[in-house]
Amino acid sequence: MASLSLRSAVKIASRELRFSRGKFFFVVLSVAIGVAALTGVRGFSSSFRAALLDRARSIMAADLSARMFQQPTPEEQKGLDAIAAESVEMTPVTEMLSMASSARTLDPLLVSLKAVDPTLYPFYGEVQLQPAGSLRDVLKNDTVVVADDLLVRLHLNLGDSLKIGNRIFRIAAVVVNEPDRLSGNFAAGPRVFISREGLDASGLLAPGSHAGQRYLFKVPKPKDGTPISEKAVANLKERLEKLLPESQVIDYRETNPALTQGLDRATSLLSLMSLVALVLGAVGVAMAMRAHLEQRLDTIAIMKSLGAGSTEIIRIYLLQTLLLGLIGGILGVVCGALVQMAFPYFLGRLLGVPTAVHLQLRTVLTGLGAGILTTLLFTLPPLLDIRSVRPILILRRAVDESADPFLTALRKKLKDNLSQIAAIVLILTGLAAIATTLSDSATVGKVFSVGLVTVLAVLLAACALLLAGLRRFLAKTRLRLPSAVRHGLANLYRPGNPSAALLAAVGLGVMQILSVFLIQKAVVHELHLSSAPNLPNVFLIDITSKEIAGVEKLLKLQPSVTAAPELLPIVSSRIVAIDGVPATRATLKNFPRRMLRSISLTSFTAPPEGTTITEGAWWSAQEAKPEVAIAQRQAERLGVHVGSKVTFAAQDSEIVATVVALIKSDGQHTFSRAEFILPPKVLNGLPVVWYGGVHSDPSRVGELQRALYRSFPTVTVINVAQALETVRSVVIQITYVIQFLAAFSVFAGIVILASAVAGTRYRRVREVVVLKTLGATRVRIATVFSIEFAVLGLVAGIVGVTFANIVARVLLGRMSIPFHLPWIWDALALIATALATVATGWAASFRVLGQKPLEVLREE
Amino acid sequence: MTEASTMIAVKDLRKSIRNGPRTVDILKGISFTVPHGQFVAIMGSSGSGKSTLLGLLAGLDTPSSGEVRLNGTAISYLPEDKLAKVRGKTVGFVFQSYQLVPTLTALENVLLPYELNAEDASGHEGLQRARELLASVGLSDRLDHYPVQLSGGEQQRVALARAFILRPPIVLADEPTGNLDTTNGAHVLELLLHLNRTLGTTLVLVTHDPVLAGYADRRIVLRDGAVISDAVQEPVSFTVAE
Repeated sequence: MASLSLRSAVKIASRELRFSRGKFFFVVLSVAIGVAALTGVRGFSSSFRAALLDRARSIMAADLSARMFQQPTPEEQKGLDAIAAESVEMTPVTEMLSMASSARTLDPLLVSLKAVDPTLYPFYGEVQLQPAGSLRDVLKNDTVVVADDLLVRLHLNLGDSLKIGNRIFRIAAVVVNEPDRLSGNFAAGPRVFISREGLDASGLLAPGSHAGQRYLFKVPKPKDGTPISEKAVANLKERLEKLLPESQVIDYRETNPALTQGLDRATSLLSLMSLVALVLGAVGVAMAMRAHLEQRLDTIAIMKSLGAGSTEIIRIYLLQTLLLGLIGGILGVVCGALVQMAFPYFLGRLLGVPTAVHLQLRTVLTGLGAGILTTLLFTLPPLLDIRSVRPILILRRAVDESADPFLTALRKKLKDNLSQIAAIVLILTGLAAIATTLSDSATVGKVFSVGLVTVLAVLLAACALLLAGLRRFLAKTRLRLPSAVRHGLANLYRPGNPSAALLAAVGLGVMQILSVFLIQKAVVHELHLSSAPNLPNVFLIDITSKEIAGVEKLLKLQPSVTAAPELLPIVSSRIVAIDGVPATRATLKNFPRRMLRSISLTSFTAPPEGTTITEGAWWSAQEAKPEVAIAQRQAERLGVHVGSKVTFAAQDSEIVATVVALIKSDGQHTFSRAEFILPPKVLNGLPVVWYGGVHSDPSRVGELQRALYRSFPTVTVINVAQALETVRSVVIQITYVIQFLAAFSVFAGIVILASAVAGTRYRRVREVVVLKTLGATRVRIATVFSIEFAVLGLVAGIVGVTFANIVARVLLGRMSIPFHLPWIWDALALIATALATVATGWAASFRVLGQKPLEVLREE
Repeated sequence: MTEASTMIAVKDLRKSIRNGPRTVDILKGISFTVPHGQFVAIMGSSGSGKSTLLGLLAGLDTPSSGEVRLNGTAISYLPEDKLAKVRGKTVGFVFQSYQLVPTLTALENVLLPYELNAEDASGHEGLQRARELLASVGLSDRLDHYPVQLSGGEQQRVALARAFILRPPIVLADEPTGNLDTTNGAHVLELLLHLNRTLGTTLVLVTHDPVLAGYADRRIVLRDGAVISDAVQEPVSFTVAE
């Protein structure tokens, strides 16, 4: 059977594109903005993440570290050698306590030695020295690099000699900051860097000596210049955990909870923004294509009357859709690439992170593919509508309304629209697939896909209900309403007006924009908390009960201390049994057995600051029964849960404590060290040492150290101020980028929604002409339209804002961030939606209002 | 009149539409047959059901009940795409408001039914015939003009050429001169009659103009959806007033 040739189909499709450039502008604009946002946000966020992760690596000095508590067995060593053979770089860091003394005075001092191979260590970041220099140059076999408190305590200067073991070393430099400060041992005593050869020569590393060993690993960089994949690191981690079951293996993301959370949350949020950009673009496309096809009804009817089958006509418009998707997609990718290049330029001053931007082919293809696919998916229902266009339209524009009872009508409608329903299912599945592929965060992908399906269904239903309610209201009151209001409201029900679709589109858009905004605000707020400038950055250990009052007083008097000190009583203990099973036979998960022999108990009447209860309940202030709250992480490793009984050794007796709560700390407070908390009365009478944390101005920590040393020489001070400053700066950078990208997403969303509203203006041309012919003034017509748009905006706003709050609540819940109902923002969003809809409607109808009736009537 | 020479057979044709709670009967059981080559004028006042009848004759709409046969094929309940094909090959259309595809040139508009329906859509035959037809309606210098660049009379002449490109056995015309001035209307009518006679086409023309109906072989008058008169007449001979 004859049918329209592809050439003719292309000709008709492209000719229409050329003839209605204005109309298609909005379609192309929607696709382009959606794709640009997607490509820009995604591309930049992946570059930014790579830059951030690089900095995170420098906080650990490696991709992975494995802390060993004994020398590797020959079997383990074989495994490590095999790993090294795969181009994974590896270097050991040995940490141990030792006595050091000034070669002149021979005053002894307990120091923590850190032996490294300066040719390899650190893999990432650098050891900051005073005077400036590189560790590789100054750390030789006969030199050491020391922390400044050693100089204070031993009254030494640079260049002086220091005796360690049976060798004398020259002090070559002072260490200001080292990359793996936060993951190293917080042992007592000032730090001393020594070369591995130096350590061997000192004779300290005898068999049986108490040395801790850490292996640092660096995954080889891919040859194509792309950043090291997180998967490669995760794979190596898994291998190491299997190979070294008695060691603690952590990756660079785990060095600091603030950093880990910051990265995770940023990933989730950036993923969400990409997806939102995508769906908003799709909404714009769907609205514009719908409006376009409605305009084409006459042409479609003519072609049908001339013998064209639906398939042939659908082919023409399918080609057109593909072409539009492609043009919009290409334009979007180009804009996205420009945006991606522009971001670092704008953010340069804020960030100070050299963000290497490389346009990845994958990002470009994803953008283009997503653009074309969403365009196709969303034009499917209007395309399928072509089948129901009756050629009789040419002769008679009667609207055959149904008067069947509601349920019969609904059943009929569902039956008639089976293919439409199938198309909608296809769209949602397609979108979910795109979302899952695009999303770097599985949680966001899942919540988004499920959420989108639910929200779309509920949105459509809510819009239909609201419209029905309004119609009922109108039917009851219409004669009492002013005529402009009546006309404006009645316009919502004009035959063929896609009020429900537009409402759903605007509602969806508002929901997405507001969700991004609310989640962004909450995440940034949390990040600010976790990078708060008053968190402890100097830790004090080994404070006796006699000293504690004096130390507290001294800290409060110090001008460099900017926040109240956090103090924590510690009782040394060990775990004897778990649920009656002796510790030696207990089943543990990634928990070195020897750790059971050295744990710290502490006591509080209420959960300390920064600690939340994840399961169970806290005891009352007067509690004297042996109960314990255990950090969730440790509970998992020990295999205990609420109700379990853990037996702790306490001097000569034992405490059999019931686990009443599992806790989680934010990792930002000194109290985060408390992993086994018991009621104070239970620990009464046991020997206690205190552990303290305080925030000091990072540049004045030396001052604090000297003051403490003068009054309390036995108290060890651990300074992590510099290291924490690095973390803080990274987290702050994350917040800047999140805010910047959120603003971009919101802006893109508003433009797309505006174009969707504007796309409906062609529908109004005929109406305006008729009204003008009947003598309506422009003001009157504008008033009628304003009322229509304001009602649309308000209804869409109500639905959108409601769902935005639900989505934000669910997603924030998943990210463990509290959600507070943002009344003010909700109200503002509602008003802004109504205003923006009216403004856009006005702006778009401006030319329509100026149209001469004859121009349109002649075209009829 | 033999059964074989019947081009159009209409049997108890009814059409009702729902308008809110009311049902409006537009056609109330119409029956007639049109033999090959006859020129039938369907008359009636506004709202009498003329256009609905024409739409049903062409299979542009589905009747509520009854049947339409075109050249022996029952078309009323055919599936959409099959109907489109029958329509394309059997019926040529001329509408009051021309109904040209605005994005196609005059030549392309005329060629469109050929591309949609002819067995050999790629051949040059169609193109040549389109050119000839446009020349025969006096538009050989307007081949590449778009509808908006043509006057009403010219647009209707393009529509005429389009209606005849596949040499359909039936041409249906809905007030073909209704939007044209007297001179242009006469020209269009002359062309329509000329093509009807030279090609032996069966012509059904809907009009409320008695003068126009006077040129037909037969006149069917509708009122309120029913046939009130159906008479064969001696057609008035046609001359174009200069």
